[in-house]
Amino acid sequence: MPGLPASIDLDECIERLYKKELLAESVIEAVCNKLKEQLMHESNVVHILAPVTVVGDIHGQFFDMLEIFKIGGFCPDTNYLFLGDYVDRGLFSVETISLLVCLKLRYPSRVHLIRGNHESRGVTQSYGFYTECSRKYGNANVWHHFTDMFDYLTLSVVINDDIFCVHGGLSPSIHSIDQIKIIDRFREIPHEGPMADLVWSDPDPERDEFTLSPRGAGYTFGAQVVKKFLEVNKQSHILRAHQLCQEGYQVLYDDRLSTVWSAPNYCYRCGNMASVLEVNDAGERFFNVFEAAPENAEHRDAATAQQDKGVVVEYFL
Amino acid sequence: MTSFVAPTTVRDAGKIHTQSGWKVETHKYPICNSAEIEAMTSALGITPPEMIFGNNSVRVSHAASGFAIEFNAFDALDVVDKTGAQGMLKVAYSDEWQRMREKVSEEIRDVVRPFDWSYSTEWKGRVSGGELKESSDASIPYEKLRRPDPILLFDDVVLYEDELADNGIAMLSVKIRVMPERLLVLQRFFLRLDGVVVRIRDTRCFVEFATGECVREYVSRESKYEDVKKKLAMYPQDDIPSLMRDPNELVELLPIIETTREKATITMNA
Repeated sequence: MPGLPASIDLDECIERLYKKELLAESVIEAVCNKLKEQLMHESNVVHILAPVTVVGDIHGQFFDMLEIFKIGGFCPDTNYLFLGDYVDRGLFSVETISLLVCLKLRYPSRVHLIRGNHESRGVTQSYGFYTECSRKYGNANVWHHFTDMFDYLTLSVVINDDIFCVHGGLSPSIHSIDQIKIIDRFREIPHEGPMADLVWSDPDPERDEFTLSPRGAGYTFGAQVVKKFLEVNKQSHILRAHQLCQEGYQVLYDDRLSTVWSAPNYCYRCGNMASVLEVNDAGERFFNVFEAAPENAEHRDAATAQQDKGVVVEYFL
Repeated sequence: MTSFVAPTTVRDAGKIHTQSGWKVETHKYPICNSAEIEAMTSALGITPPEMIFGNNSVRVSHAASGFAIEFNAFDALDVVDKTGAQGMLKVAYSDEWQRMREKVSEEIRDVVRPFDWSYSTEWKGRVSGGELKESSDASIPYEKLRRPDPILLFDDVVLYEDELADNGIAMLSVKIRVMPERLLVLQRFFLRLDGVVVRIRDTRCFVEFATGECVREYVSRESKYEDVKKKLAMYPQDDIPSLMRDPNELVELLPIIETTREKATITMNA
């Protein structure tokens, strides 16, 4: 595999990103291309071993991600599994995904990145990442570099042959984990089919089976679906993100499924808690719950200040 | 009405101000926790939006007469179409999705009981201690509201928001500003269902303190998504995504489909 250009020092990039400095467009292009090469060799189902700290949706909340490292330990001292939705909504999607790309390149066996529904060209055009890239770099080139790289992110991870991890949830077309392995994932997330279901579906604790959404697309999955999937695949637990919860996490179906949410005070106005899930050597799970980082308030610009306590007075009509 | 007890451990970031006998209160709490969502789901009979600020509210009240108007999420959601009887919206790619689906999993026929998952509401606020009557001479004096009078209280309170599973945005929020002689409330429902429709439903409530004149104006606007996009064609391509997220940019592009105006004169003996 060809290396990065000699002029790019990953440790220096990581240092700069921890300070929230942007990398040059040419550097973004190089690290995204390099990561694509690396990810191309990853299976759609990556097997890893505990201990590992599992992180849910971050959505560009850069300071809260730094808080996670302060709480859970920095790379490579702590192994991390990120469940997707790195971008959109928050103010610092570029910094967030830049740092994660560099960490994954630098510590490929200690950092794992799963694809979320926001790691997509279509969704990032609607929910902020495209606009942020254009504003911070003056054009959309880095958005193209990042979203091209998103096509290579894996769809699922299995911890200790025991815990199945995915961004959204289960699919009616997937009974066995082996069926995930044959998906052609190197593409934009489609609207339908198993790849879409894995990043989009939600559990419905009121139901037993798969249920169609009233929106005319998408599924929810119920208690029996989860039970059967775990039995067939000899797993004990499903770990996913994708759904905002005020408590920062939610455990359903008699401890068979957990939702991890890692963006505290989501969109700088929801007032919710966040969590990361630590899986120890023995495979036991512990939620580590945290609040929004104090730096958020200092770095918020006037346009978004109104979303929180410091409301900007407005002569609306 | 079902009420939800605000959790005592979290601080209310709302405000209170009284001007000329009119009390204005805003309440701002975190989104509902899972127990509150469960209670709300069973009280409403539909799943609430993903960001549900069930403890937030804006209330304007006149102590001397007992007149009050209040805006909160529960009331607004309670009038959302809960059966799909008014015609269900579908996401833009629904037909394609249904066709593909039938090939792989035709055995799944179980659909969640239909309801208006766009959370479109015609709610105009809960009035108590008085009555607003539809009137042809009711109007909000916008020229007075354009004056740069000091603003004694301003707040912006989100009641609910939903990303419609990445198909757009539905949001209900309330802004209020109180000046020395008058106040204005704007409750806005904004829906952008990508590839399908854009809606803005504004309820404005105006009070002139000296006369006790209270006017409520409801303006519903709606347009096909593609028609809105066409009207934005003169903007640079890179600006369009953020314009499509901003109801203030879109409101003038949407034709008005319904307007109602009501008024009341609130005095000591109202």
